[in-house]
Amino acid sequence: MEGNIELLKGAIALIGYGLAAVGPGIGIGIVVGNAITAMARQPEMAGTVRTTMFLGIAFTEALALIGFVLFFIA
Amino acid sequence: MDQLILASECDVVNEVICAPTDVRDLFEFTDAWFTIGNFQFTRTVFLIFLAAFIVVALLYFGLRRNRLVPSKFELTMESTVEFVRDGIGKDVIGPEGSKYVPYLLAIFLFILVGNLFEVTPLINFPITSRMAIPFFLSLVTYVIFVFVGFKKYGFRFLGDTIWPKHVPIGLRWLVGIIELFSVFLLRPLTLAVRLFANMLAGHLMLTLLLGSGVIFILAFPEIGAKALVGIPWFALGLGIFVFEIVVAVLQAYIFTLLSAVYIQSSIHFEH
Repeated sequence: MEGNIELLKGAIALIGYGLAAVGPGIGIGIVVGNAITAMARQPEMAGTVRTTMFLGIAFTEALALIGFVLFFIA
Repeated sequence: MDQLILASECDVVNEVICAPTDVRDLFEFTDAWFTIGNFQFTRTVFLIFLAAFIVVALLYFGLRRNRLVPSKFELTMESTVEFVRDGIGKDVIGPEGSKYVPYLLAIFLFILVGNLFEVTPLINFPITSRMAIPFFLSLVTYVIFVFVGFKKYGFRFLGDTIWPKHVPIGLRWLVGIIELFSVFLLRPLTLAVRLFANMLAGHLMLTLLLGSGVIFILAFPEIGAKALVGIPWFALGLGIFVFEIVVAVLQAYIFTLLSAVYIQSSIHFEH
């Protein structure tokens, strides 16, 4: 086990990806929750709200995706 | 259980259970069918050509006749075109959007077909799970939206990104750095990685669950009742199989939608 830096690097990268996924997870929850509220209040706007919701999810997801890339690079 | 683990060790001859030794294996094409000069023709390349051919065939046979009462297939193709033109092109970009509808329709259909290869029996491989394809597609979007911005606003497009006039002067440098980083680097990167990561994760999950389920069930004569573990795994794999169809369509939609949004943000740069 001693001196096995590669294993340690993999484990740290995994932890880093896990940390990177926390924030976007909460953010996407907020985005979708508010979008559902908006759709329930104004069902006639559901189409627009859905498009905007996907956009919000896509922008929020960026941080998790950077974490994913760094996990592969590490 | 020990026998099974021994039997499941990396089998170099069949390459069924080998873990990639290096992350670079995921980005390389292996096992060329034949080689033309420097160009290796592999299964993935064949699938790319097949996807492009399917898209052309769908559009040609779906839209060649302009009939008053279209058949079901023609109706599906017409509503797909209408969905991309009105739902993505005109809704997001605005009246100028009709110029970009051919591009949006092309990438939407190509990514959709490429993603649905994941759940097509006998193919079972999404071509978008190879980084080259989403990266090239997002590079095309990048070139288009940067070109549109520079064509319409000249070097003000770059200047106003770095030095935004509507932001209070004390914060301008910070917002400028963030904007420069996000517009010119993170946009194409996340656009490509989002598609790639989703399809790769789905493909891996299906392969692991369905493959290991089958391996367990086939090992029934050797390990007896322990092989029943394979049944819930296989069932879970089938459940995710249905879920992956939704993911495939959704990712194609999101890629097209974000391409449209990026083009729109270059056209209406001022706000």
